[in-house]
Amino acid sequence: MTMDRVVETDFPQDFVEEIEKVQGALPGRIDANPQNVERGLAKLVLTLVELIRKLLEKQAMRRIDAGSLTEEEIERVGETLMRLENKIHELKVIFGLEDDELNINLGPLGDLM
Amino acid sequence: MTGMNIYAYAIIDSIVQFDDCITGMEGNIVFNIPYRDIGVVVSKFGEKIQNVTKDHVLKHEEVVEKLMRRFTVLPIRFLTQFSHEEDVLLMMQAFYNDFRENLDRVRNKVEFGVKIIWSGVKVNNHTMVACRKSDTSIRFLGSSPSRSFVKEKFEKYKAHKEFGEEVERYVSLIDDFFSRFAVEKKLEKLKTDKLLLAASYLVEKERQEDFKDAFKRARKTLGDLKFLLSGPWPPYNFVVLSRKTDMYDKKSPCWNISSEGEI
Repeated sequence: MTMDRVVETDFPQDFVEEIEKVQGALPGRIDANPQNVERGLAKLVLTLVELIRKLLEKQAMRRIDAGSLTEEEIERVGETLMRLENKIHELKVIFGLEDDELNINLGPLGDLM
Repeated sequence: MTGMNIYAYAIIDSIVQFDDCITGMEGNIVFNIPYRDIGVVVSKFGEKIQNVTKDHVLKHEEVVEKLMRRFTVLPIRFLTQFSHEEDVLLMMQAFYNDFRENLDRVRNKVEFGVKIIWSGVKVNNHTMVACRKSDTSIRFLGSSPSRSFVKEKFEKYKAHKEFGEEVERYVSLIDDFFSRFAVEKKLEKLKTDKLLLAASYLVEKERQEDFKDAFKRARKTLGDLKFLLSGPWPPYNFVVLSRKTDMYDKKSPCWNISSEGEI
């Protein structure tokens, strides 16, 4: 570097590691070759289902936090969310997908979830 | 000049040709292609660059830095290449208003980067424990599986919420040191678990020393965080194009202009 430019830190290695992590997050692609097209599509669909599940869960928690759900409603919400989570877990097992695979990197916007 | 390959470095607020010899990629002379009252700084090159080396990156940066000393600069993305001078002029014609506005906005200003590392995992664990200890059980009387499920989810939700508030509190504290010396800023929070803040500040040239002093003060005051300051840079993160550039890709595949950040 020329000019009067500075890079000032007491922990250069720590920052190198974190910057490498950020730069290593390349946008994900659907791997749609004939051998694993089913898995690729399942990954995409399940990612979107998981996103919707998380949004539903968050909204439910907000309402519980605000005290706007009755005891019966909390019971029903719990039952629904639990079944939904179990069903997604079953589908993940069928398609051999791990939790951290259910995400889409949106490039400069970061991860979807 | 038809058929000549051209490598572009930056847009500048001048139409002058350079008296001194600046060398660019492959040792070729850097020159200015004027368009109305602004210019695009380029150099010729033989073959399109395929195998990028560290020397290419440093040479690009060196040219932009030299320009930055004398002109207001909009840095062009590394490896932006054109097949013909006509393509360069078409780009200038298409984006002239954007370039002009951006040059006016960043005149006499430079960019500084501030990055902060914190113990995110430690803070997260702390909030989790605090939430478990808090009296949430009153709301979840009964021991059905669905109740237990909701209780667990609620504790996580509360912990996540408090963690988010902690992030905001820290970022606000840090930003307070710097933002008073900046005219614009971009803050990115938690790009990784540890990287609490990756911030870019647009600072007037005459306030550079004030900004550096603010960094020293922040580092001294917030001793539990790890700080990194870099700059002055050309305003990589403060160039905003109002138009999409996709349509130009078909015309000239080598065009490589982003609609956000550097050109």
